Amino acid sequence: MATASVYKGAGFDFSNEVRNTFLSERGIPLPKATSTGTTIVGCLFKDGIILGADTRATEGPIVADKNCEKIHFITDNIRCCGAGTAADTEFTTALISSNMELHALSTGRKPRVVTAMTMLKQMLFRLVPQPTHYHRPPSSIAPFPYRYQGHIGAALVLGGVDATGPQLFTIHPHGSTDKLPYVTMGSGSLAAMAVFEAKWQPNMEVRIPHAHPLPTYAHSPPPPPQRAEALDLVCAAISAGIFNDLGSGSNVDACVITASHTEMLRNLVKPNERVQKERSYQFRRGTTAIKKESIRSLIVDEDVTSITGEAMDIS
Amino acid sequence: MDISFALTGKGYVIVAADTTAARSIVKMKVDEDKIKVLSPHLLMAFSGEPGDTVQFAEYIERNIRLYQIRNTYALRPPSAASWIRRALADSLRSRRPYSVNLLVGGYDTSTHTPHLYWVDYLGTMSEVPFAAHGYGAYFALSLLDRYHDPEASLEDGLATLRRCLDEVAKRLVVTPEKYKVKVVDKDGVREVEI
Amino acid sequence: MSDRIYLGLPGLATDVTTLKEVFRYRVNMYTIKEEREIEPETFAHLVSSTLYEKRFGPYFIEPVMAGLEKTPSGAYKPFIAATDLIGCLNFAKDFVVAGTASTKLYGVAEGLWEPDLEPEDLFETCAQTLLNAVDRDAYSGWGAEVHLITKDKVIKRTLKGRMD
Repeated sequence: MATASVYKGAGFDFSNEVRNTFLSERGIPLPKATSTGTTIVGCLFKDGIILGADTRATEGPIVADKNCEKIHFITDNIRCCGAGTAADTEFTTALISSNMELHALSTGRKPRVVTAMTMLKQMLFRLVPQPTHYHRPPSSIAPFPYRYQGHIGAALVLGGVDATGPQLFTIHPHGSTDKLPYVTMGSGSLAAMAVFEAKWQPNMEVRIPHAHPLPTYAHSPPPPPQRAEALDLVCAAISAGIFNDLGSGSNVDACVITASHTEMLRNLVKPNERVQKERSYQFRRGTTAIKKESIRSLIVDEDVTSITGEAMDIS
Repeated sequence: MDISFALTGKGYVIVAADTTAARSIVKMKVDEDKIKVLSPHLLMAFSGEPGDTVQFAEYIERNIRLYQIRNTYALRPPSAASWIRRALADSLRSRRPYSVNLLVGGYDTSTHTPHLYWVDYLGTMSEVPFAAHGYGAYFALSLLDRYHDPEASLEDGLATLRRCLDEVAKRLVVTPEKYKVKVVDKDGVREVEI
Repeated sequence: MSDRIYLGLPGLATDVTTLKEVFRYRVNMYTIKEEREIEPETFAHLVSSTLYEKRFGPYFIEPVMAGLEKTPSGAYKPFIAATDLIGCLNFAKDFVVAGTASTKLYGVAEGLWEPDLEPEDLFETCAQTLLNAVDRDAYSGWGAEVHLITKDKVIKRTLKGRMD
């Protein structure tokens, strides 16, 4: 039983699986993973697409992070919203982002949204069997040698603008995909979809506000008429999730992607800002009883004593 | 039903374990040695699933010996304990993990200090002044809390151990009739009668 | 983990030891290869990927990290982060909590924490949060320890807590 090396080949390491089954049989339960009970949306408009997301991360019934980022970078012109098991969405999108960069480098073309979508669905669903006897160009759309079959709990909304125009997809944990003009995902998807179904129409306009952060959405007067329909619609859809779905909450993030550029609007609307505390709850110094104290100084002080009287001749 | 104790004192570690090998309700053997001498200054008491115990202990014994043959010097107690713990932690992630609980006691000849480690089958390890595994732990730990002295002489240490064994004899439903007691100090390992 | 990075590992005792060994090894290898000390944020990503590597057979550990990161100007900036057992990072601005008392810690910390506390005030807030949460948790307690990390010294304090 040689000591296991901590550096291993690519892919997941299942070595604790047997042990954990054994431990849970003995009544040691598996701690909960962070999940994003989430509202994520995407919608098509005249010159591109908008992605939207709330910013709440949950751990069972607890809010683990009140302002997390669910719109992940894939390439300059492609972004991806993630719902489901937080670590899975984080690592899956990071992996695809890297592979997209490699793919763009090897093809010399601007990456396409379908490419990212195909990579994601193939990874989440199953592998294209990997023959070892013939040479495969190293940076072709690499088949993933795993069959996750839904075990990677990543539900994604993928959007971007490429050579073929604006593209919007949803990808489910099992690997199925949809291509629609407006999509929602996560626990708040129903609330958000209701808004889209009521208000979305083809060829909507968008005007990105230049001065942000914007005034608080919930308390501000009705949006001025020149404010763009599409971005407003995304905000309304996410807000529907934030206020009506318990798994979603906090702020609205959005990302507007057009053929010419991508703008990430982090915390576009903050309808749930914490108000100033009524009073300070500081404790008087010395409140806590201390049994022992040890101080480790990080400053290295040294006394330099000059031994030779004469300076060295450096002429 | 294995019972094992260990305690440190001034320059020594005492390790004690019962000597019964039982199967179901039948005593098969009353002179089983459940304390391995791993190196000139290292002892290991092992208990747990029958079969696993001896298999694992021998595996450890031979690897510690191999290290000593290769490097001339034996592993010092902290390093040996750390390696043994890792062996258990790795085993825990295998198809069939070893169910073995250990008490590793040794004398560090470089720093002249006794060391005692309590290790369980999950690979949990902690360095302690005294330790026990099995049903004996329920009776002995409170006694050791009261009577253990890290500066005690060997005689006093053995007297404290005696108290533990007597308490077990008095209160435990099924008492082991015999114990094997080994001591490790600067002069190495030896067995003592109690 | 280093002079200015501290890591808390609440969870299964055997995994606490194993991961402590793994992180010590990886941080040492990083220091040797890069010829510089690891930054807290880099370390957080190291923790995250180490845990995610075992996505389908995780370590039973929910780490919390605290440290001081070097800004380009050479000053130090406080850094905290936590991950779940499969390595989902949470870079919080205010506080991070973990362990069997986490539900209680969330509540108490949410009430007591306020921004821009001086080191000694932060110590009191942190110590009181911990002690009070732990007193309502059956599985943790028997004393507590707080490390106060400042740019030129680290103060370790052992708190007086309930021993039941």
